[in-house]
Amino acid sequence: MTTTGAQRLTSRRADEVIFRRGAVPVTTARFLAEVAALAVRLPDEGPVLNFCADRYLALVAFAAALSRGQVTLLSADRSAPRLADIARGHGARYALSDTDAVLPVPVIRPDASPGDAGPNPAIPEDAVAAISFTSGSTGEPQPHAKPWGALVSGARAAAQRFRVTGATSILGTVPAQHMYGFETTVMMPLHGGGAGHAGSVFYPSDIAEALALLPAPRLLVTTPLQMRALLGSQVALPAMAGVISATAPLAAELAGEAEVAWGAPVREIYGATEAGSIASRRTLDGEVWEPYPGMRFEIDSGGARVTVPGLPTPVPLSDRLEWVGEGRFRLQGRLADMVKLAGKRASLAGLTRILTGIDGVEDGVFVAPDDLDVNPRARLAAAVVAPRLDAEAVVAALRSKVEPAFLPRPVVMVPALPRDAVGKVSRAAIAALAWKR
Amino acid sequence: MTTTLSLEAEVARLIVDALHLETAPEEIDPAAPLFGDGLGLDSIDALEIALAVSRRYGFQLRSDDERNHRIFASLRALSAHIEKNRAA
Repeated sequence: MTTTGAQRLTSRRADEVIFRRGAVPVTTARFLAEVAALAVRLPDEGPVLNFCADRYLALVAFAAALSRGQVTLLSADRSAPRLADIARGHGARYALSDTDAVLPVPVIRPDASPGDAGPNPAIPEDAVAAISFTSGSTGEPQPHAKPWGALVSGARAAAQRFRVTGATSILGTVPAQHMYGFETTVMMPLHGGGAGHAGSVFYPSDIAEALALLPAPRLLVTTPLQMRALLGSQVALPAMAGVISATAPLAAELAGEAEVAWGAPVREIYGATEAGSIASRRTLDGEVWEPYPGMRFEIDSGGARVTVPGLPTPVPLSDRLEWVGEGRFRLQGRLADMVKLAGKRASLAGLTRILTGIDGVEDGVFVAPDDLDVNPRARLAAAVVAPRLDAEAVVAALRSKVEPAFLPRPVVMVPALPRDAVGKVSRAAIAALAWKR
Repeated sequence: MTTTLSLEAEVARLIVDALHLETAPEEIDPAAPLFGDGLGLDSIDALEIALAVSRRYGFQLRSDDERNHRIFASLRALSAHIEKNRAA
């Protein structure tokens, strides 16, 4: 075991505001007191499944568990069946949440009650603070351990990159349990800067109202899908200092519209659940990504890997990368089999295996549309050979096995899969059938 | 309540068109959940429906309270919410 250092729970000054619950500002001192008060209420053993919807409660719950030496399980998918899978499969002893779900473990409701002053504990950098999950190609959630040191250095790198000062208000529209949301809206106030917004916001009008109540400078942490909805619904937003987008590629056109409408630079984060955030760019400046400080990329014919400060081994990436000089890179496209929708990844081959495993399905294949990487509304399609079933029955059978984001639209029922001259399934022919409309 | 019935059909059509669903509008069970086990919609769809509703009916959906679960509980609940909040 190597000797590493330790990092305090937070590096913010005691009197700095690190979160806002509605109109109530929460200082570091008050946060630490609330963490200490919750920590004594927790059971003796973790791991703990944290699915709080309120971002501040998610932070307090994470910090209280961490201060007790317990690992937090973070699932971006907060549906009850997925949470139950993770609780069972990864040995959760209990859950902390402000929302209701029936789970195979006890669910404790955290509260934020101001107690006496609390300590700011030192946490070993190599201690696993959280485990985040990707959906994985077979539908089985895949765990990725996050050592405390990696989370802290990621938060500092992000704050530096996006020039987040102590006074920046951070409004997140992505769940605290998604790796991007966790790093940018939960870890950043602890170790980078800024004050997070506690409430959960999702629809355009929620976002507009929450932003209006926050003091400037305001930073919006969101997704291409929500940017599109915001622009489409034409709600008025107050002045912003910046917009950060991740979970899916942002089309330059949408970024351009947003910069004009909101008068703020729109930046994108490139990352993955396994590695966290690793690079960023201002979308309108072009396709070149600038790695976060301290990241080491290796790019060769076998693919790309990144060595992340605080992570024990290099992380393989599911995109093809190309150097463009000065330590910057360009994405040349994803590895053909991997698709990303609604911030979740899956393998087309894995989805196809699930499809062909359905009772009554003789043959079938999932295909991705050509605009998958630029159209936030894009969906997968499937061609299916199943003489006894109709498209609706196929979707119904898939529903219990794959996440909703990956359900095919449309499903094309065919007497046989179209094949090319050498007998290979023709993706082009299926695409033509699926997207002829 | 003929208004509600025809609005339900209209909203069903709106959902199917906005989301490119396989289901025919008249086959959506007005009492079944739109998300999860029912129609199997997800958060992308929720935003898409919110956008379509704001364009067609001139008001914004919001998620500030418990109501939201009720609004999206079913086609019937969503239609009733639209009936109550639509502009003019």
